[in-house]
Amino acid sequence: MLKLKLSQTTPNPLQLSLECISGELHALVGPSGSGKTTALRTIAGLNNAQTGKIECDGELWFEANEIHGVTSALSPAKRSCGFLFQQYALFPHLSALENVCIPLYNSVTGLAERKTQAQQWLDRMGIGELTNRLPHQLSGGQQQRVALARALARSPKILLLDEPFSAVDAPTRQGLYKTLAELRKDLNIPILLVTHDLREADLLADRITVIDQGVGLQTAPPQVLFERPRNSRVAELVGINNKFTGVFNAGKLTWDDCDRVFEVIDKGKIPPNTPVAWVIPAEGLSLQAAPSETGIEAKVEQISALGQIAVIQLRTSEGNHVITWEASAAEVKRLSLDAGKKSYIEIDGNKIHIMPLRPINDPRRFSH
Amino acid sequence: MDMEALILSLKLAIWTLVLILPFGIWVAHSLQSMGKSRSWIEAGLALPLVLPPTVLGYYLLVGLSGKSFLGIPLVFSFTGILIASLIVNLPFAIQPIQRAFESINPEIIEAAQVSGLSNWQIFRLIELPLAWRGITSAAVLTFAHTLGEFGVILMVGGAIPGETKTVSIAIYDKVQSFDTAGAGALSLILLATSLVAIAISYGVFGRQPSRNRGGVNA
Repeated sequence: MLKLKLSQTTPNPLQLSLECISGELHALVGPSGSGKTTALRTIAGLNNAQTGKIECDGELWFEANEIHGVTSALSPAKRSCGFLFQQYALFPHLSALENVCIPLYNSVTGLAERKTQAQQWLDRMGIGELTNRLPHQLSGGQQQRVALARALARSPKILLLDEPFSAVDAPTRQGLYKTLAELRKDLNIPILLVTHDLREADLLADRITVIDQGVGLQTAPPQVLFERPRNSRVAELVGINNKFTGVFNAGKLTWDDCDRVFEVIDKGKIPPNTPVAWVIPAEGLSLQAAPSETGIEAKVEQISALGQIAVIQLRTSEGNHVITWEASAAEVKRLSLDAGKKSYIEIDGNKIHIMPLRPINDPRRFSH
Repeated sequence: MDMEALILSLKLAIWTLVLILPFGIWVAHSLQSMGKSRSWIEAGLALPLVLPPTVLGYYLLVGLSGKSFLGIPLVFSFTGILIASLIVNLPFAIQPIQRAFESINPEIIEAAQVSGLSNWQIFRLIELPLAWRGITSAAVLTFAHTLGEFGVILMVGGAIPGETKTVSIAIYDKVQSFDTAGAGALSLILLATSLVAIAISYGVFGRQPSRNRGGVNA
């Protein structure tokens, strides 16, 4: 199990605490420059944080506080980390097999045994026949597999993946997803994945930590994160389209710029008359062709067909709000939707998730 | 042909190479991790490039006069011209190796660190093989430059046959005594050596990554 709590202000701000249990794939998601890679490098020992603590499998890897500075820091070589670099970082003068032999150099005695074990890892990655190729003679996907074999050869206590799929094409990526999913079952170690691709995190991760400007904003399973983002910034970062503002007062949400009021479930944490941001997930939206008492009149502005899925953009008559709705091609046909046509949107108040509107530098935003 | 001068020059070049290469590798590698003092040290090491050979030779002559720490006078001796040669060749030996170490992607070193290698193992298995081309360039440049060195050697060693009279000085002596055929033959040898050195530096190794494994298969 990996436990970490890190804090630093320079060179890149970082304010992050997380736990990753054995067998869990935990994704760190955030925009470029948000501090994801810094966090990963700090865990591996390639950077040191100003204050904090990193423990893995009960072993203290790093500890520092404001008074004494760094009191304990294992070198990267002693941390037993498998680290997969974004640009692979294979040793260019060594063959695929020799690259995988390197992590075994101190732990396995005898060249023959090292080569046997390295070959087994290459076989497991499905590139057993590329043993003698140099890195520049391998494709991006093949290099990635050699790098993964090298990261795992040492039987690390934790696997750290730094944007591992960003430099490969889509079909290769699918293959690597499959390999990673298979490895997960066998390895039973914490796996930390850094990515800016939310779909990828959603597909692979058990839990996601959203990070922005070095600060961990929310840790949750993907579904919870998409349905119940902690605050407006998380909603923005996870790409929720239908995000609006309103005023919340004792279970009732008044939508800004129109008279709509929704009955909303809340935990009683938000004070009366608080301006809030609110989101509505896709399953809380439906569209009707005919008017009804609860239907909100809207005009279809745009329909973008993406294969069997269509993305429909509507603008409400009242309040001029833009709502995005995804539907199957069959649904679009059933409702006879077309640009300029009037439709009626039903919003399920029970599915609405409200969040306090706070400035980005408000420290309360980060409390867990 | 003055074989004695030729053999002396080769002896000087080989000794210079043997002594300066390990030192050059150590200095070039150490410079990577130096802080503010790095620029000053680099400037000091580059000084022999810009200093006139006679000026450098003069200071060495003054510095090496009298009894040395070895108990023998160093001026007008082979040891003296060897010390002069080592100092003159510092930039030729260090700079190509330094550039080679600098061109290694830092992520590769980090990958070696997280693979569990010690600093010495990283140096031996990763950095040294990757800097191999720079080290070869340094060796070739140092060797060729030592064979052709004139001013500093003349100032520190004079022209004692078999002791300090190298090929370059022999060529000068032959021209002074109107032995143009002898001077021409020795000059041709130095020209050929320089061409081979340039060919090795630029051509033979091509542009493909080295397969030197640095003993990873040990």
